[in-house]
Amino acid sequence: MMPKLILLIILLPLLSALLMHLFAGQIGRCVARVSIAATLLSVILSGVLLWLSLTGDLVGQSISISPWTILYFDSLSILMALVISLISLIVHIYSLRYMAEESGYVRFFVLLDLMTASLLLMVAAGDLITLIIAWHFVGVFLYFLLGQDTRNPSAYRYAFWTFITYRIGDLPLVLAAVLLFQAYGTWSLPFIFEQLSQAPNAHSVFGLALPEVVGMLLALAAFARSAQFLLHTWLPYTMDGPTPVSALMHAGIVNAGGFLINRFAPIFANTSDVLQWVFIVGFISAVIGSILMLVQNDIKKSLGYSTMGQMGFMIMECGIGAFSLAIYHLIAHGVFKGTLFLSAGSVINSARKNDGVPKDELYTFVVEKRSARTRKPWLLMAAITLLVPLAILIFSHWLVAEDYFQKQGAIVLLFFGWITGAQLIFATYRTHAQNLWRLVIISILSFAIVIIGYIFISHAFEIFLYPDAAFREKLYLAASIEKIRFDILVAVITTIIVVGWLVAYYSERNRKSKHPKYTGRLWTMFYALISREFYFTDLYSLLTRTILSTANKLNIWLRWN
Amino acid sequence: MPDSFLLLAALFLPLFPLSMVFNALYNRVQHVVLRCILLIGWPHIGLAIIYSTETIVPTWIVAWALATSVLYALRMLALRGVGQWNSFLATSMWAMLWLSTTDTNQGLHHLYTFGVTTPLILLALLSSGLEKRFGAAYTDLYGGLAQSIPRFAGVLVVVILAAIATPLFPGFFIMLKLILETSETMPAATFTLLGIWLLWSWAGVRLLQGLIVGTASSGNEGEAVDFNFLTCWSYVIVLIVLMLSGVYLAGDLL
Repeated sequence: MMPKLILLIILLPLLSALLMHLFAGQIGRCVARVSIAATLLSVILSGVLLWLSLTGDLVGQSISISPWTILYFDSLSILMALVISLISLIVHIYSLRYMAEESGYVRFFVLLDLMTASLLLMVAAGDLITLIIAWHFVGVFLYFLLGQDTRNPSAYRYAFWTFITYRIGDLPLVLAAVLLFQAYGTWSLPFIFEQLSQAPNAHSVFGLALPEVVGMLLALAAFARSAQFLLHTWLPYTMDGPTPVSALMHAGIVNAGGFLINRFAPIFANTSDVLQWVFIVGFISAVIGSILMLVQNDIKKSLGYSTMGQMGFMIMECGIGAFSLAIYHLIAHGVFKGTLFLSAGSVINSARKNDGVPKDELYTFVVEKRSARTRKPWLLMAAITLLVPLAILIFSHWLVAEDYFQKQGAIVLLFFGWITGAQLIFATYRTHAQNLWRLVIISILSFAIVIIGYIFISHAFEIFLYPDAAFREKLYLAASIEKIRFDILVAVITTIIVVGWLVAYYSERNRKSKHPKYTGRLWTMFYALISREFYFTDLYSLLTRTILSTANKLNIWLRWN
Repeated sequence: MPDSFLLLAALFLPLFPLSMVFNALYNRVQHVVLRCILLIGWPHIGLAIIYSTETIVPTWIVAWALATSVLYALRMLALRGVGQWNSFLATSMWAMLWLSTTDTNQGLHHLYTFGVTTPLILLALLSSGLEKRFGAAYTDLYGGLAQSIPRFAGVLVVVILAAIATPLFPGFFIMLKLILETSETMPAATFTLLGIWLLWSWAGVRLLQGLIVGTASSGNEGEAVDFNFLTCWSYVIVLIVLMLSGVYLAGDLL
């Protein structure tokens, strides 16, 4: 009975896509309700499975259809199936009216269902071939969903960027799968993981340990999917697609990188250097995403870079061995970013009538990015930047474990607390609170939620996803760096934050003093750099044009034969 | 393998510059039936020649085949003619068949070849359909097929996806098989194969965008006739069979 239920979760959206395609002519647009009903059923079934998993009645169920068609339902896949089907259901319901005026209404729902089925298959894949197929299909369906409006060449242009980046990311996954098959002679993931745990260093590739090479390839695949540094340019530009697709993409699809790293946790647990590189890439992505988010004047593009930053955090969490924290992060991010996208239209609509902007200095400083004349906002910002992470660390130390300061996971809390705390302050400020005490209480409550969320809930996730304490320790060990390097890293990051604020403050204060030229020029250069998005887009466009021009020249030389 | 046989095989499992013969011939032949016959027959002649000699293919031929495949995959990026795109993809694909000539089962090898060529035959038929409707099968010439002839556009999308080795179609599994075979003995070939696969995807999407995207020009919208129910379902059935055969084939391959 249970395997049938599991299979049904994936088959329901597929069946719905088929029914819609076949009966759209007879029933018309009402056929979209079939899709919603099927997705709702998937949510209910996933919920039931999660409940059974939590109560211990369902442990690692797998269905083997053929040697390369295995569905595997463990804690990770059940949790992800629920998240995916739930986000998909919200997007379906929202699209029912949002897409009503658009052409290709039925096609949109068919594609939405196929995408949901691919994502569900991806998280439930118990073998490498099924994983590759689902991974590939997500990219293909996303391309067509982003290009829903076939009259819009611009939408397709940017959908192509997404498609090609995803294809680039598919290739390391294929290579990793092939290497694993060569080594273990099977496509089955549970079998590979079992063999690996028994003899981690039994195989090598070009003199390197197999987990090291495969881990690096998997990380590359995850980077492309989660818009990490150098493979990020597609994400902010895919805003010409329908808003529900943006919501689905930012809330669900880009998180696949975090899922992939978690799925292959047994591989990463046996690496020595890969997770450190994962951390560095995540860190760079988080910083660049956050910087570029600030300079955008388009709300959707700004959200795109915000997602890049959040994905950077998620990858960073994997890089320090906090794999379950990354899953919690991707769920939390999915919920809040999905909400933001789905409400973006209403915000724009209401802003046209009334911008609702309280015109005072703190707001213009924080939201409009205009510099403040008085010191109050500067000091407040500096205080937030330093105090929030400190508060979180102290609370963690006090509530969770005394050695929390020594754990390298603290560094992510430091960063996340820094960004999230600042954002929470802005959000509470926008509640137009006149009463200072009320504002302070709301802020403290918000911090408490962050702390509880990031410490207790993530701990619960850890127990649920990785119940084996020894394995958890192994993951942290694989991600650990020498203490001296860790201390230097914390010192450097803190220094950057403090110096950043000091430079901003003094350059603004000394704007009309002796040397305005140098600081002014420096700021202009920096602004030019970030407004051109570090020239990555230009560089990739140049590379594309060069390849196309070479192809054209070759054709002319060879007389088109 | 005697040199003359090798040369002959390199003409039919096209290796550059002999590949130019097939491409010139394909572009000269305008009739769709003749084009389909060329696509069906050409690579099988090459395979038959190789298997008739029962000699091991030298390694340098494999390098040459890969170079040919890369060359044509790259050149596909700059093409606008659907027919020419089809013949270049055929060249790029068939050149790769040299990599699996160590396969002792000749029948199976012919079957794989048929599997990867079938989408190209369907594309040749669609290309002819475009020529009948618009007078030419070029990208960025009329555009907006998704608006003007949606059923035709839908079939075209799936056929192109099948041609560029999208999962579940035979091309995908054969590509995976080649990667698997080369990864142990020829890692450089594995990387090249992955690069070729990427170029196919790029070229395929460029072709699609040039045909289906955009606003249909007012003149064409009235003239163009979409597929009728029967024709559309004929293509769908062939594609489903192709997909199922891909999955079935994979049972053997993997």
